[in-house]
Amino acid sequence: MIDKNLNLVEVEDSEYGVDSRYESKINRMADGEALMEARLRRMKNVSGELIVKGKLLQLKFKMEEYLLDTDSDNECKFTDFLSQYIDMLYDKRSHFSEDIDITPVLLSQILNNHRQPSEEFMLRLMVHSENAFLNVCSFQKKSWYQIYYQEKINKMMSNQGEWRSKVAKHVKMINPSNL
Amino acid sequence: MVVTDKKTELIYCVKIQPVEIDDFNRITKKRYSFDWKEEKGQELYKLQRLDSSEILGLVSFEYIPEEWRIHIRLLTVSKENKGSKKQYENIAGNLITYVSKLAIKEYAELACVSLKPKESIARHYMVKYGMNKTGKTLSVELPEILNLIKTYDHD
Repeated sequence: MIDKNLNLVEVEDSEYGVDSRYESKINRMADGEALMEARLRRMKNVSGELIVKGKLLQLKFKMEEYLLDTDSDNECKFTDFLSQYIDMLYDKRSHFSEDIDITPVLLSQILNNHRQPSEEFMLRLMVHSENAFLNVCSFQKKSWYQIYYQEKINKMMSNQGEWRSKVAKHVKMINPSNL
Repeated sequence: MVVTDKKTELIYCVKIQPVEIDDFNRITKKRYSFDWKEEKGQELYKLQRLDSSEILGLVSFEYIPEEWRIHIRLLTVSKENKGSKKQYENIAGNLITYVSKLAIKEYAELACVSLKPKESIARHYMVKYGMNKTGKTLSVELPEILNLIKTYDHD
């Protein structure tokens, strides 16, 4: 834990006007090389548990970013995120299916977008994630649901060309001014 | 993320967002130490209280993807927030943590945020933010970043 209230003999301008720009690309590369060596040395002492924490945080931040990005797209983000989630926690996906009490076949069908996740599956995933993120960071319970429906909305909006004319045939427009 | 008013000890939520074109007229060298127009084209973010448009701190940085690293180029609190007479606590800490979160989002467990300040103030960053020192370069990596997030990020 970092002590925010350290009683330091602070240099007056230590957080005012800090210029850290490299003078040249060569300087940057030389610093980067030395830094990389030191980082690799330090990395050897990082536990597997911390590494999983780092990966879980990355997943959380990417999910949050996706939910903020309203641009339509056709990507299968729910299953992408779900695959990442499982692969960072398990050596084999079948172990995850065991842990949430579904068959490996069903999990495979969901991950390959051959079957929609049931509500039961979503609820079990929610409970599983609560435990996984427990000592890492706050994780919104509704995140998986939000990703799932955000993806549906994005797909529907970006595929309007495919469904709009067919749907419009069944919709009568009433001009409100004629009422 | 929050800042604390030193006099009243009141806590205020803050937001960190990209600097917009209109901001350049008010982020003057006199108040924010640098000519920030030189940083146009770089990643450039401002910290503000949620309930105020006043800019309390600024940071610019660059992604170095081949090294899974983000390098902080310029960092400053506003003139009113420097030294012992500062109005708010934690402005720089929040900015460094924000950049660290971006590094985690990009590079996960390999994330690194670096800074190369003057030798005279390096110790401040090592003690206050847990930075490692390699030559003249300071950096936070996964363990330090997790600590920063725990300390400064209340989202």
